[in-house]
Amino acid sequence: MTPAIPISDDFLARLRSREPEALSEVVRDHARPLYRAARGLGFAEPEAEDLVQDVFATFLVRLDSFEGRSQLRTWLFGIMHRKVQERRRASAVEDRADAIEDVLESRFNLSGKWARPPADLEKLFLSKELGQFIRGCIESLPANQRDAFVLREVEGLETNEICKILNVSATNFGVLFYRARAQLRECLELKGWSKQ
Amino acid sequence: MISCKNVARLLASDQLQSEDWWIRLEVRLHLAMCGLCSRLARQLKQLRAGARNIREQNETDEGLEKRVLERLTRP
Repeated sequence: MTPAIPISDDFLARLRSREPEALSEVVRDHARPLYRAARGLGFAEPEAEDLVQDVFATFLVRLDSFEGRSQLRTWLFGIMHRKVQERRRASAVEDRADAIEDVLESRFNLSGKWARPPADLEKLFLSKELGQFIRGCIESLPANQRDAFVLREVEGLETNEICKILNVSATNFGVLFYRARAQLRECLELKGWSKQ
Repeated sequence: MISCKNVARLLASDQLQSEDWWIRLEVRLHLAMCGLCSRLARQLKQLRAGARNIREQNETDEGLEKRVLERLTRP
């Protein structure tokens, strides 16, 4: 993904005057990445599009209060993140218990050496179903880890931008991301075993 | 000598680049000598590549931008 570009004063003024070409440019540049991220975060196709529509509707309402300090992409993804949280709360999606630390601890002995080494997953990583397995494993992640993983690894956003979107510190992001990747690897290992 | 447990944590957190140079060096030396940690490092790279590939599966049809603009500019 291309780096987020700071918004110029001139472009912000055009947006605030609701100039159709300026609005069209924002939609053209950001609707698709927002949609992809919504899908990655677990929303089905119609729901993902509805979410994107909702993000742009809010963008238009709040445009006059946007000071242009953050990048437009960061702001739009931030709106989406809050909407995702609202929808998850509304549908009472319960967050899964996160037992990854215990699992990881059990992999090492007291001196920090491997007690249960990582299994050889070459077959799995070469298989055609890898994407499907990764998708299935992403769905099993706790919501906050899933958000961190999808924005960083699937959408390829930079860490500092994701911290602003999710409103977390770099340290917190590091923990979320580490747990997500560790959990996904564990999940793929289980799937890998079943493929042997 | 840095432990496998610490190497695994550093690799999965993706924050190795922001660590001090001697820690990065220790991790590199460890990876050169430890087949199991190298395997983990390779798998995390493969996981990243696999995750980037599923991006394509999340694409939508060409009409998305048009539909968003229509609704956005509806009086």
